[in-house]
Amino acid sequence: MNKISRTWPSDAAGRVPYWVYSDPDVYAAELERIWYGPHWLYCALEAEIPEVGDFKTTTLGERPVIVVRSGPDEISVVENRCAHRGVKFCQARKGHVKDLLCPYHQWNYSLRGDLQGAPFRRGVRGQGGMPSDFDPKNHGLRKLRVEVVNGLVWATFSDATPTFREYLGERFWQHYTRVYDGRKLAVLGYNRQHIPGNWKLMQENIKDPYHASLLHVFFVTFGLFRADQKSATEIDATGRHGILISRKGDQETNDVTAGMRNFKSDIRLADPRIMDVVREFPGEDTVGMITVFPSVVLQQQINSLTTRQIVPTGPDGFDFHWTHWCYADDTPEMRLRRTRQANLFGPAGFVSADDGEIIEMSQQGFSHAPDEDALVMMGGREIESVDHMVTEVGIRGMYRYWREAMGL
Amino acid sequence: MNTIDRDALRDFYDDYYNTLDDVRLEEWPGFFTDDCIYRVIPRENFEAGYTLSTIYAESRGMLVDRVMGLTRTQMYAPRYYRRFPGPLRIVGREGDGVRARHNLLVVQTLIDKQSEIVLSAVCHDLVVPDDGRMRLRERIVVFDSEMISNSLIYPA
Repeated sequence: MNKISRTWPSDAAGRVPYWVYSDPDVYAAELERIWYGPHWLYCALEAEIPEVGDFKTTTLGERPVIVVRSGPDEISVVENRCAHRGVKFCQARKGHVKDLLCPYHQWNYSLRGDLQGAPFRRGVRGQGGMPSDFDPKNHGLRKLRVEVVNGLVWATFSDATPTFREYLGERFWQHYTRVYDGRKLAVLGYNRQHIPGNWKLMQENIKDPYHASLLHVFFVTFGLFRADQKSATEIDATGRHGILISRKGDQETNDVTAGMRNFKSDIRLADPRIMDVVREFPGEDTVGMITVFPSVVLQQQINSLTTRQIVPTGPDGFDFHWTHWCYADDTPEMRLRRTRQANLFGPAGFVSADDGEIIEMSQQGFSHAPDEDALVMMGGREIESVDHMVTEVGIRGMYRYWREAMGL
Repeated sequence: MNTIDRDALRDFYDDYYNTLDDVRLEEWPGFFTDDCIYRVIPRENFEAGYTLSTIYAESRGMLVDRVMGLTRTQMYAPRYYRRFPGPLRIVGREGDGVRARHNLLVVQTLIDKQSEIVLSAVCHDLVVPDDGRMRLRERIVVFDSEMISNSLIYPA
């Protein structure tokens, strides 16, 4: 591993140096210490692979993996890399198989990733074959640790990762189980986009309620997320996970909205069904945007529910995979409501398209100024949960943890 | 207007794509019936039978709202879109309406960037006579190019 010759700014909590977003050595170390280190990574909805033999492929960090139901109550996650010559042998996005087979030399693995067969292992008519010390037990696919937690599949490359519940911490376990409460989930559909910006910018975006109240005119105008509403910005004890909580308000002119140049009181929807919101979770909160470090955003915004998986592709880009979901027992009306509300999100979303654009513009702005710093001192330099959204505490918390994990 | 013939349909699409390429967005919802269905949907969703779409509308009003979003609420870098429809195939008739299909390539160009494909798609359309002109009652744009190059801003 390359040595990182970078120094954090002396205003440790209030600034983030731009080299974190562009230095290839930093990125390489992130893959090792964060993505392949002691962290749980989002893989799938359990509902995507209901039958034994069902699989989907995805990428964790930069490593391709296969997520497969290997038993009625068992999901395995194995690296999509043949133990023989390293072929990414499974090219389908999803499917159903009896076993895992590499087409190159027909090496064959069980659904759990154990090597079952290597053709001509004992040679052909006494010629060739693998040496006598070749033991199939030592040549399976690399297996990841897996936890299936209330409908979501998580995996980790590291033996040092604590249980998923400990990884979240009790406070965030409560946030997680508010939406992932044990009911069966179902897929509504997917969206995928490549965002040309560093992967951490997506985490920061959803940890930053300050921008949501300003950049997103749609949110501001229709009162979905605005600085005058009752809100909270929470972080876990380590600082790595975050949640933005808020309550829907109205399209009203008041002391706060009057000062917002992006509040547009004259806009009316020609067909307001997109904003037909119903209350479905306990309590008054209408938004709970959770960032589980490092790999995913868990969105509950009005009745729209998504997992948004981050797959880094280098220091300056990431793929963003959206899985829009519903509860398996939702009525057709509820599914339609969630489908309509999805217009706010994804690569063409009234709100989310703004985020992809601003992340691209961020990367353009600072990728050639690695020695300059960003300011993240809105709301002070403290790193603790607050009950408002005029803060960058979520970003400060993430970088406190990031520095610890990276040893920087 | 009783039956829609091939020439009329071609004129209709010429008009449709010229309107979008010229970014006369306010005129765009007028190409749809009041109760239209409009979806720009990834191929994987379409094939799985999901209706979850990247852009979704079930009335002309929702298309008007799309235009409002594009022109008044959304923030995006300036760009040009140009649409390249392929040969037209009439696949069936429903009453006075015509079911038609064609491929569609949408190319975007950002400032100081090379042009790139933003959508590679097939359009499943239902064009009907409506109030003295032709309109789309259904337009399902199914795109193979599922990994979108950041944002999909303008309609297809």
